[in-house]
Amino acid sequence: MALNLDDYYLPASLQEATELLQRYGAGAMVVAGGTFVHGLEVRGLLTETVALVDISRLGLRGIGASSKGGVSIQALTTLAEVAAAPLIGKNPALAAINDALHYPPRQILNAATVGGCVAAAAPLYDLPAAFLALDGQVQTSLAGRQRSIPLDEFFVGLFESALQRGEIITAIDIPAPAARTASAFLKLETNANDLSLLNVAVRLTLDKAGNCADCRIILGGGVGETYVRATGAEAALRGQAAGEAGFAAAAAAVVDDFEAVEDHRASAAYRRHIAQVYVRRTLATALARLG
Amino acid sequence: MKTIELQINGSTHEVSIEADETLLQVLRNRLDLTGTKKGCDSGGCGCCSVQVDGKVVYSCMMYAAGAAGKAITTIEGLGGGGTALDPLQQAFIDAGAVQCGYCTCGMIMNASELLATTKNPGEDQIRHAIAGNLCRCTGYTKIVDAIKLAAARTGG
Repeated sequence: MALNLDDYYLPASLQEATELLQRYGAGAMVVAGGTFVHGLEVRGLLTETVALVDISRLGLRGIGASSKGGVSIQALTTLAEVAAAPLIGKNPALAAINDALHYPPRQILNAATVGGCVAAAAPLYDLPAAFLALDGQVQTSLAGRQRSIPLDEFFVGLFESALQRGEIITAIDIPAPAARTASAFLKLETNANDLSLLNVAVRLTLDKAGNCADCRIILGGGVGETYVRATGAEAALRGQAAGEAGFAAAAAAVVDDFEAVEDHRASAAYRRHIAQVYVRRTLATALARLG
Repeated sequence: MKTIELQINGSTHEVSIEADETLLQVLRNRLDLTGTKKGCDSGGCGCCSVQVDGKVVYSCMMYAAGAAGKAITTIEGLGGGGTALDPLQQAFIDAGAVQCGYCTCGMIMNASELLATTKNPGEDQIRHAIAGNLCRCTGYTKIVDAIKLAAARTGG
């Protein structure tokens, strides 16, 4: 990749990584799996980058149960390791995560990391949409200080996140899901090599009567500069019976929740149509997982 | 320039590189390991696939400096590294899975991870596994046949 780099660093500790990032300032970029560097370069966004700080030797790898019944995925865990994790695979509440990991090729699953996927702040990426639907929290470290950022406050714009200079993602935490919760993710792409036209991730929680007690509906792909939380669609479904009529109401409402992108892949009108179809299908997939 | 050590096919290579050189560039241009092919150079076609610590990755998306100290396997390292063929290589020949041949090495490096982790994979598993490797000649049918053949020959 044709960058004009002074050096490529492999720090052995978070402290060393922070020092490098502070020393180079805007000239440094963190890499982990490295699979998005090319994407940034071809968009002309790395012309000032003179140092890559490869944090892949810092540990920060693995998936564990968090203290309150949720799941904590350390930042350098690869997508392949998430896809193979029993803690996630057997839980219908977290199924959107595995759905999202169905799409990337093996080579990307093996290299790309969870932290990198989130840090990229690209709404075209699949996995963060699933994390958003599951109310994920980003754990970070900056010069020894830790903080927790809710994912719905993390994505600021296209390739822009709430991370401060030198701040490194250490984990993504998923809180314990409520009882009777399932999730799902669905992607529309024209072919496996292209960017998605539209992604939908949902989380559905039922009450004892089978009504929707709570839900999240997240849109990604060609929906603008950041992911969109479809609050209108959520409101249309909340309190309704979880089934065809309620899902149709959510689908009808979703068109007012986002501004569809118009590009060479698809018209805005097509994306609005597909959003309705995919909201309905994704909700039905989640419901089916509740048996 | 900086000097790094790469572990490739069981041997240590000391090599001087520029900081922005990819593993693909170093393999082909500095070490003459030209079995690994350059295709799209952007993580889309799979013909640059190699294994790093047993996992198939796109070598065009990995910086050589970042691969230091990891166990890299290229097509030249299969079959014990000599002239003997790996069962996958032999199966690709026997099944007629090679046409222009440009995707073949990447296909085999990918299938090699699949067969190391999955005994007797079904057709759907094979097709899903090689989704990150494009072939513009065969229509994939004979490639899938070859991977099935290699799986059967190596004991399912």
